[in-house]
Parts: sequence; C-alpha cells; structure tokens
Amino acid sequence: MNAPVRAALMVTCLGDMFFPEVGVSVTRLLRRLGVTVDFPQGQTCCGQPLFNSGYHGGASRVAARTVEVFRDAEHVVVPSGSCAYMVRHEYPALLRDTPARAEAERLAGRTYELSQFLVRVLGKTRFKASVSGRVTYHDSCHLLRGLHESEAPRILLKNLEGAELVELPGGDECCGFGGSFSVRLPEVSSQILDKKIRNIEATGAACVVACDSGCLMQMGGGLGRRRSKVRPLHLAELLAGDER
Amino acid sequence: MTTRTEFLSRIRTEVGKTPGLFSARTAPCPSDPRAVSETIKRELAERWPQALERFQLEFERVAGVFHRAASIAVVPQVVAGIARENEVRRLVAWDAPELGADLLDALTARGLEPFAMPPGDLADATERAALRRRVTDAELGLTGVDLAIAETGTLVLRSGAGRPRSTSLLPACHIAVFDRTALIETLGQAGVFLELWNRGELEGRIGAVTSFITGPSRTADIELTLTRGVHGPKEVHAIFVDQAIRG
Amino acid sequence: MSETDLSVPFRRRAGSALGDKHLQEALTIATTKFIGLRRDAFDEFPEGERLRDLAREIKEATLQHLHRYVEQLIDSVERLGGHVHYATTPEEARRVVLDIAARTGARMAVKSKSMASEEIHLNEALEAAGVIPIETDLGEYIIQLAHERPSHIIAPAIHKTKGQVADLFAKELKREVAADPEELTRIARVELRQKFLEADLGITGANFAVADTGTVVLVTNEGNGRMVTSLPRVHVAVMGVEKVVPSMTDLMVFLQILAKSATGQKLSVYTTLVRGPRRPGELEGPDEFHLVLLDNGRIRQIAGPLREALYCLRCGACLNVCPVYRQIGGHAYGYTYPGPIGILLTAMLEGPGSVKDLAHASSLCGACADACPVRIDIPKMLVELRREIDEARIAPWTERLAYGLMERVLASPTLYRWSKPLARLLQRPFVRDGRIRSVPLAFTEWTRTRDLPALAPQTFHERWPTLK
Repeated sequence: MNAPVRAALMVTCLGDMFFPEVGVSVTRLLRRLGVTVDFPQGQTCCGQPLFNSGYHGGASRVAARTVEVFRDAEHVVVPSGSCAYMVRHEYPALLRDTPARAEAERLAGRTYELSQFLVRVLGKTRFKASVSGRVTYHDSCHLLRGLHESEAPRILLKNLEGAELVELPGGDECCGFGGSFSVRLPEVSSQILDKKIRNIEATGAACVVACDSGCLMQMGGGLGRRRSKVRPLHLAELLAGDER
Repeated sequence: MTTRTEFLSRIRTEVGKTPGLFSARTAPCPSDPRAVSETIKRELAERWPQALERFQLEFERVAGVFHRAASIAVVPQVVAGIARENEVRRLVAWDAPELGADLLDALTARGLEPFAMPPGDLADATERAALRRRVTDAELGLTGVDLAIAETGTLVLRSGAGRPRSTSLLPACHIAVFDRTALIETLGQAGVFLELWNRGELEGRIGAVTSFITGPSRTADIELTLTRGVHGPKEVHAIFVDQAIRG
Repeated sequence: MSETDLSVPFRRRAGSALGDKHLQEALTIATTKFIGLRRDAFDEFPEGERLRDLAREIKEATLQHLHRYVEQLIDSVERLGGHVHYATTPEEARRVVLDIAARTGARMAVKSKSMASEEIHLNEALEAAGVIPIETDLGEYIIQLAHERPSHIIAPAIHKTKGQVADLFAKELKREVAADPEELTRIARVELRQKFLEADLGITGANFAVADTGTVVLVTNEGNGRMVTSLPRVHVAVMGVEKVVPSMTDLMVFLQILAKSATGQKLSVYTTLVRGPRRPGELEGPDEFHLVLLDNGRIRQIAGPLREALYCLRCGACLNVCPVYRQIGGHAYGYTYPGPIGILLTAMLEGPGSVKDLAHASSLCGACADACPVRIDIPKMLVELRREIDEARIAPWTERLAYGLMERVLASPTLYRWSKPLARLLQRPFVRDGRIRSVPLAFTEWTRTRDLPALAPQTFHERWPTLK
C-alpha cells in the first residue's frame, strides 16, 4: 500500500459510554501502525439493540444515520464483533427498501472487526502485551459464528510478546449477555455467566480477553461482584502495549 | 374432514406464493439402478476382503459379535457354540435355502431345538397362535441378510414369505449368516439397492419392510446409561461364510 | 408441575427449573455428553459438511414442489393398499385415529415414539375413547407413567433420575424395584413385550416418508418401531406433511447425518422402511396401513417467515448446545417442542402470540444454527418473531416506550450528547468506585448478580479532542 491507510473508528455505544479506554487503545494501536484514524462525530450506535428486540423500524432509522455518518470512510474499524456483524450482515437487508440501500451495501463491504482488520487487512500480527502472564480468550458469539472468525484473535494472542494464551474450556459458549436477554431473563443469564466464570477461573489466567464490550460488561460484572482477581480486558487494550 | 383435493390445493397455493429461499435441487437418482448395483457388486467382487475387514470393525464397534466360517457346513457348529455360551436351545430360522439344506438337522444333532418358519402365511388361527408361541419362546433367531454395509456395520434384511420380521426381532439373540456377495461399502451404495428394490411394485415373495440393523437393541434413556436388549435382541451375531453360499 | 403450567409466567417457570438440583445435574451431564458425541461423529466424517449442505438443499427443493411430492406419496401409498388421511387441525387428526380404532375394535394401542402424536395430544383422546395407549419407547414409557410431557425431543425422560424411574415402576407394578438401569430396562422389556403382542393397534410417527415409493421411515434404537409396525393388525402413522422426501436416494443423504447429529451414532440401531400393509405370504405385519398427513400450521409457513423451520429433522442437536435449554430443560418452555427449534415450532402451531416470552428466551448466540444438520437459521427467525410481536403491539407499553426513547436518542446526535450528563446525574447516588452495585428500575435485574460499570467520567466522544 502506498497511500497511508485511513480508518474511521466506530467506537460503539457501549464503548463510547462505558469503555472509552477501548477506543483510546484502538486509536493508539492503529496510529502506531501508520493508519490515519478518523472519528466521525455524529456516530451513536449501530442499532443492534433495537434490531434484536424486533424494533426494526427504529433500527432502520438508526442504521440509516450510521450509514450516512460513515459514508466517506475508506475502512471502518469496530472493536466489537456484534456491531461489525450488524453492519456487514444485517444492514443491507434492513435498509433494502430505503434510499440508504446502496450506501449500506457499500458500508458493509468495508467494515471490519478490529482483529480482522489487523490480521487480514493490515497483515499485522505481532504486538506487545500490556499485561504479562497468562491470558485466556472468550469467543464472542457474533464474532465466532456471525463473522466466522476464531483465527484472527488467536493469531494475535499467540504472537503476543509478554503474555501467554491458555485456551478457555467452553470458550465458544455464550457468556449469557445477549443484550436485552441479560435483563429479560436475568436468572438464566446469570447462571450461564456462573459457568463461564468457573471456566475462566479454572484456567488460572490473570485476564480474560474478548473482542466485544457487551461480553466484557457481562463477564466483568460477574467477576467484579465476586471480587475476582481476574481482569476482563478488551483485545485492543491488551495489544496497545501500554503498561496500566 | 379435509379432503385430498382440499389438502393438496392448500399446499399448491402456498407453494405458488413464493419462489423459495434459494435455488435448490434434490439428489440425483440413478436412472438405471440395476446397472449401477451390478457395477457395485462387480467392484466389490475384487474389494470384498477390505470391505469385510471394515465391516467387522464397525460391527464390533456397535457391540456386534463377529464370527467367520469356512463354509456353510460349519455354520451349525458356530450357532451351537453361541447357544451353548448363552445356555439356550430354542431357535427359529428363516425358511431360506441359503442357510444350508441340512441346517435344522445339523442343529438338532448338536442339541438345539430349531424350528423353521413356514414358507408363507398360515391360514389357520390355531396354527398361527402356536407358531407365535414358538417365536416368543425362542432364544435364538437365525436369518440371512440382503446386504451387509461395511461403513456402519449394518445388516439389511428384507421381510417376505418365509422371512418373517420377528425372527430378527423377538428372540434375545439374533444370528445373521452371509457371504461376500452381501457386502457393500457405503450407505450411498445401499441407496442404489433401495432404488432397485423399490422403484416398481413389490413382487412375488418380497415383503413390505426393509430393516437396517446396526447392532443390538439399546437405549440410554435412563440417566444416559447404556443398556441393551430393550425390545429387540440383546445380542447380534454375524457369521461370515468364506465359501460362497449361493451357487 | 410448575414448569409446564402455562398460567405461570415463563420467567418463573425458568426460575423454578434453575432451582431444581436434580434437573440441573441431569441437564449438564446429558447435554455435555450429546455435544461430545455429535462432535466426535462429525470429526470422523469428512463428507459431513457437504452432506449437510445437500440435505438442506433437498429440504428446500422439496418445499418448492411440495404439492407434487405429497401427491406422489399419496398415490404410492394407495397403490400399496394403504390409506391416506388429511388432517388440517389436531382435532381432525385425533378424529381420524379414533375412527380407525373404533372401526377396527381396538382396545389397546402400542405407540412408538412420535412427537407429532404428542403435538396433537393423541393419548388423552384415546383414553377418553376407551382405547388404552401404551408408550413403548422407554423414555416415553417413563414419562407416561409419570403423567408428564417429554423434556427433550429425543431423550424424553432425561430429567429423571434412576431412583425416580424405579419409584415409578414400583408404583405401577406394585412391587419393589431396584434403581438399576439394567434391571429397569429388563422390566420394561418384559412388561412391554406383552403389550406389543396383545395390542390391536400400532401408532407411530414417521421420520421421513419417501414420495416415489410410499415408504414410511422410522429411526429408532430400541426395536419398538419394528414391533409396533409388525405385530398389531392395524398400523397408523401420523406425520407432519413436511417430512416428505422425494426418493430413496434423497433419504440416504438424511440418514447419513441424522443419527450423528442426534446421538453421535453412525446410524440408529434400527432404520425401518415400511411400504404399506403386509404383503401376501408374509406371516406378520398389519392388515391395514394408514398414513395421517398433518398440517397444524405447517402449510401456512411454506410461504411464511418460518419456512426454514420446516426443514427440521427433529434431531435435538440445537437443544443440546443451547445455553438457555441447558439451564432450564424442556418442561419450562411449556409446549410440546422445547429448545430453539421448539420456539419456532410453537409459533408455527400456536401463533406468534404464544411465544411473546419464549421468543426472547435466547441470547441469539447462534450455537443452534451451527449444530443444526440442515443449517436452519434459528436466530434469524427468532428476531423475526420478535419483530412480529412488536408489530402486533403485544409487548408491555413500558417496554415499547423504552425502546421508542432509545431510538430517539440514538437517531439524534444532539439528544445522544445530552443524554450523557443526564445519565451521570441519575447514576450518581448509586456509583461506588466506578461501579454500580445496585440500581432501581430497569437495571435492577442486572445488578442483583452483577456489577454495572458507571458511565465513564469522559465518554470517548468527549475524549476525542485530546486524542487529535
């Protein structure tokens, strides 16, 4: 590539409001790789919470705004498997009968979840870990089964300088978040989370890493309530290499 | 009550409302199953030892007991051995020439109480009741097979005149005798035979049921603990005869 | 039993299941085992993925010409001397079976496992008409004794311990029974064999019906399918109309992946192909064969949003991997069919209103779609059901208001920007060390068992200027 790569950051609603450090890490990470990072200010949310609960009219309006906000982006990078999935796989059908249709298809084709962008677009796989010791990885459902991506995060984690990846038993099992599911069926969601946390603690890892803030909010919420020593960490934070 | 016309008409209407979800075709059927089945058999005539080896492996995997007999004359000895192991004597057998002309006498000579199924149906109710009792009392059931599928260790039995369904179902021990001509390799090949057997009308002495039997009856319905012999046989034995049985 | 009482809200039924220690243990063991067995079977079967694609295609191709294949099936069965009946509703299906029982003087019917007959509540109708139905599949026999419905599509008594089964048998037989699966199986074998031999009527479902040869296919492990179709004088098969497959060649594609998906076996112990009543010269077999084709909401879905659910092979693989099913089991769902596919089938049979809660009994994780042998996109249809429920305004007004508000805020960058200082104000009483441990209203449910992060002191939007 001759011209510097430009990427627009879709920071996600959860990321913006609760985990801004993820966005900061992504920005630093990409800049260090020579990528020019833009942040379209008008962004809010990809609309998935509305979509998943069946409010498709509302989801469509929010999606149309998002498509508009990112229309000039060369690449869109999202530190969230579920949001990237929403844009890539649901936007075209959702906006099929609206004027935003063509733009939605264009956007879908150039939106990437973070680990996919690093490994498959930029071809970068070696990073320095911001924590040392053992880390374990939770496969977010939408990244794993929606975007069919289990490789890219593992390539990054295995090549990490300073940290050692240990596989999480049941790593491909849902953490119980599921967006509104976590508050509609909270007892079931919590019990699913209990199992996930037992598996995490059994690995002896210091950190559990994921590519989705929703999963991290769920797992972090359970780990925090138990005053566990295990830290939930977004992949971006782990790769940014800054000691914290 | 819904009529045939109403039912079909409703389906047709709904089908007509949509082109479907994606372009799709059914599996291609052999246009001449007889020719394909003959090709399969011809190829197996070369490869049968490997097919047999695979059959034995898979059959034993599903808890089948495999035996090998040099010729049909040795079969009564093997059967008697099985009977002795289980300490039982009463046996019912298909009326099938491929099991050997002197089979019943040979088994009797070895201390068993064999009984051959009649060649057809029985008109008399008393006779049928008596026969039913013999079958339910028998501890051993002896049959031939139509196919032995190596891929899965499966025996395929067609019912018919002289080949009742109960012989391989009611007695606690089912013994099946076959030679290399019954061996095929895969389920896909079995499909060709099903096409061959069923395309037209069922003819002559052929019955209404084809049974694929893969090991003894089993269940894991109680706490996922595997138990055998729920309703069907507790044991299935296969006796492979090296020397061709038929002709 | 509160789990199957539909007047109890779903959430409470689920909660009840979560508190049932025996059930929890049974579910963990069973589902984990099934998952491993299925995975091993497909790991050893490289053609598996291609066959799954082919199976899906065959199901779709069949639906595209379903009227032709059903007509072919009818003609084939009638040519063999069988009778075909058409049931649009469960009542009609029950009526057909009762009429056959009455006409043939049946007093006792043995049944091989049939989810379709559960769906139409056949057993109650038979009993009311003075025909004793006897379930012969061991798991079904157990739940019949317990007066329960199946809790799993292929392992109906998975929620029962051997101790509970022994108690049931003891009560039925009026004698002591050891809690040993071998012994219990032996007892069932002896008890049920008598029934097979005495029954006047045999009732089965059908895993498949092959159109061009009029063949009804039963996939079983115990042998009861063979007994039921050979010993009684009359055989009735009740089958959903979507189970038709065009040819024997198509059938073999499904047989190669069905048992592997359900239990990890290459094939079930018995695959029984029945072409009509007994033939001349056959000693055994029914004199009469009847096929009851059941609609019950299926036909409408051919052109409906749940069309893909018609591909279902009833293997149960989706149940075993579902994080929700694995925690609450089958009874809590409340209907005949539990688990992910069960929610779709319930909507199909009872209408979308029936699943206003069940449609949300899913985190949309997609494990079901992954495990499904014919790759049914269950999460997509769950979202579609949620959309229908929203359109029909069935959800509580508080929820619709909340989402309406969410949409307004997310669709307007100005409102979105102003929502943050408002949220910071509202959260202040509840924040300790950057976390919220307890909060009223909507997120109370979250904070009962989990901490909630507080809104960041500076959102990313607010930090961006410093990053430029």
